[in-house]
Amino acid sequence: MWLEILNNLRSRKKAIKFPKSPQISPGEAIETATPVKNMNKIFGKSLKIRQVDAGSCNACEWECTALTNPVYDVQRFGVDVVASPRHADAILATGPVSRQMELALKKTYIAMPEPKLVISCGDCALDGGIYKGSYATKDGVSNVVPVSCHIPGCPPSPKAITEALLKLMNDIRS
Amino acid sequence: MTENEEYIEVERDNFKTYCVSLCAERKVTLRLMFAVDDRATDNCFKIYAVFSGQNKDIFYIPFFKIKEDDPKYKSITNHIPAAHWYEREIRDMFGLIPEGHPDPRRLVFHESFPADSHPLRKDWKISETDLKEWGEGVVKKVPHEFLKVEGDGVCEIPVGPVHAGIIEPGHFRFSAVGETIINLEPRLFYTHKGTEKHFESMSFFDGIKLAERVSGTASFAHSIAYSMAVERMAGIKTIERIDAIRTFLLELERLYNHIGDIGNMCAGTALTVGQAKGAFIKEKLLQLNESLTGSRFLRGINKIGGVTKDVFLQKFEISETIDMVEKEYKDLLGLLLGQATHVERLTGTGKLPKEIAADLGVTGIAARASGLSDDIRKSHPHLFYYKLDLKTYTRTESDALARMMIRADEIECSLSLIRALVKRRYYGNICMDVGEIPPDSFALGYTESPRGSLFYWVKSDQDGKPSRVKLRSPSYCNWPAVPFAIPGNIVPDFPLCNKSFNLSYSGCDM
Repeated sequence: MWLEILNNLRSRKKAIKFPKSPQISPGEAIETATPVKNMNKIFGKSLKIRQVDAGSCNACEWECTALTNPVYDVQRFGVDVVASPRHADAILATGPVSRQMELALKKTYIAMPEPKLVISCGDCALDGGIYKGSYATKDGVSNVVPVSCHIPGCPPSPKAITEALLKLMNDIRS
Repeated sequence: MTENEEYIEVERDNFKTYCVSLCAERKVTLRLMFAVDDRATDNCFKIYAVFSGQNKDIFYIPFFKIKEDDPKYKSITNHIPAAHWYEREIRDMFGLIPEGHPDPRRLVFHESFPADSHPLRKDWKISETDLKEWGEGVVKKVPHEFLKVEGDGVCEIPVGPVHAGIIEPGHFRFSAVGETIINLEPRLFYTHKGTEKHFESMSFFDGIKLAERVSGTASFAHSIAYSMAVERMAGIKTIERIDAIRTFLLELERLYNHIGDIGNMCAGTALTVGQAKGAFIKEKLLQLNESLTGSRFLRGINKIGGVTKDVFLQKFEISETIDMVEKEYKDLLGLLLGQATHVERLTGTGKLPKEIAADLGVTGIAARASGLSDDIRKSHPHLFYYKLDLKTYTRTESDALARMMIRADEIECSLSLIRALVKRRYYGNICMDVGEIPPDSFALGYTESPRGSLFYWVKSDQDGKPSRVKLRSPSYCNWPAVPFAIPGNIVPDFPLCNKSFNLSYSGCDM
């Protein structure tokens, strides 16, 4: 163990940072998240996704579920949906973010190790879509957490989601 | 107002006795209960309750007036348990208080929403700080107590709102001893988007887009129920060709949902082959949807007064896909029923007793699997269902296997209905002329969505704009029944039970 730690220190390999304390207020944590330069090295050739439904109508969820079916099978590209934000590189957030889900979305974001990405998926997630202006929504994911990529469509087809994810992975690599 | 809706005005204090005697005499079930803010015209609120039976095509709708300065009425929940969520929702949304309701907690809003704030009142306003605090969820304004289960070895397992799989958000609190669940209390309404209020800010014609986006996999059923209500208000009777196209698409929606659900239940029993096969067939049907309507979820095809495209022009493609689906589906069902591990996990899991299902007004698959013959296509025929040979399947086992088998029976039924519909020839336009929607009119729209009966009640104001849209998705009346099916099961079986009900969170939370 000691040898390993020494080796890590010498190679300056950085352990993936977790947020300092779970008591930190959501707003504070989100502002301190910084883009990481060597993201391509950390992510490698894969992208692990945590899907968060922030008030969508469930159509986007079914399209995300379809990603792993035998027809699309995104796992062959190194993309996978993981069960915990702790294992995730990116959040795939859908829905206009209902106010009762706002805190849960923020907490999921905070729970992810850095570097982290947020992908908003579907028209509601961009600016509220059809729900824009409703008292109970936040009009888009970007009003709650910083978004790095958006997938349009109502709902976006699995093909569109796959394409967008591959493009994102390509961008990270170059 | 239309022929099969019977509105009866009663006194506020007689409402309870009237409803109780109606239920006792006519053997009706409560379908829907809602309030309307009519202070602008009648200087009062009105509360409506919609009852319907199985044998007669009629809706009994007693209603009463209630003044703003004395916003109290006698709760009917103690006699008609199906009313318990409706009354709590009316209290949250309008501030009308059901006296004697057994549950004083709020239903829709979580702790951080201000007390004494009722969004569906016409003069409702909320400050920016209140909205901000609601979203942040730090300041708890109205406490919410979960039911406490005490005893040796009882532990609480909180799950959600963000779950491990790709599903919608909801919080579940299990009280378990070892693996056995003693009590389950769900906390929903995380995806509450203020849909009913949002309808009021749109025109009737735009409203259909919002209706399609209430619950993703029942998009078409929602748009049908909404358009039916508006068409009945405007006095439009659609012709056979439109009805046939709509019925066909409704059955197509049922087909892809049921096959997808059967496949998904395999995820609960770790039968990956079944899951993959189900997902594959569902994908083929979604691709057919896309080719027919341009949307994988049948959006944008229905409009007020008709449809935008004659899907029967692609007869050949439909028959080809349906034949393929039938063959693959028979394969899948054979595979599932031949797997002892799968069938054993489903047998006796998540039993919902018939009496409880009847008391809570459970609808759809869950009701039919518990021995209630609840099918609004049969009891209140609409669209093209008059002319089709339709059968309501019921089972008495009331467990997860029964729910799967009801789906299997209905898939057969939908396949034959689709074939029958495609065979016939239809004439006429695919869209009727729709003028202005008459002011001060109201009507009920309903249909059988894949999950069960679905209702819309729509009312226009003096200018012919929407003044109240009440929607009741099947998930809304089935969610309260889920906790009754869970105790006695083990925690790892909960996802399986949940999948066997397959309820929508978004449709319930509105």
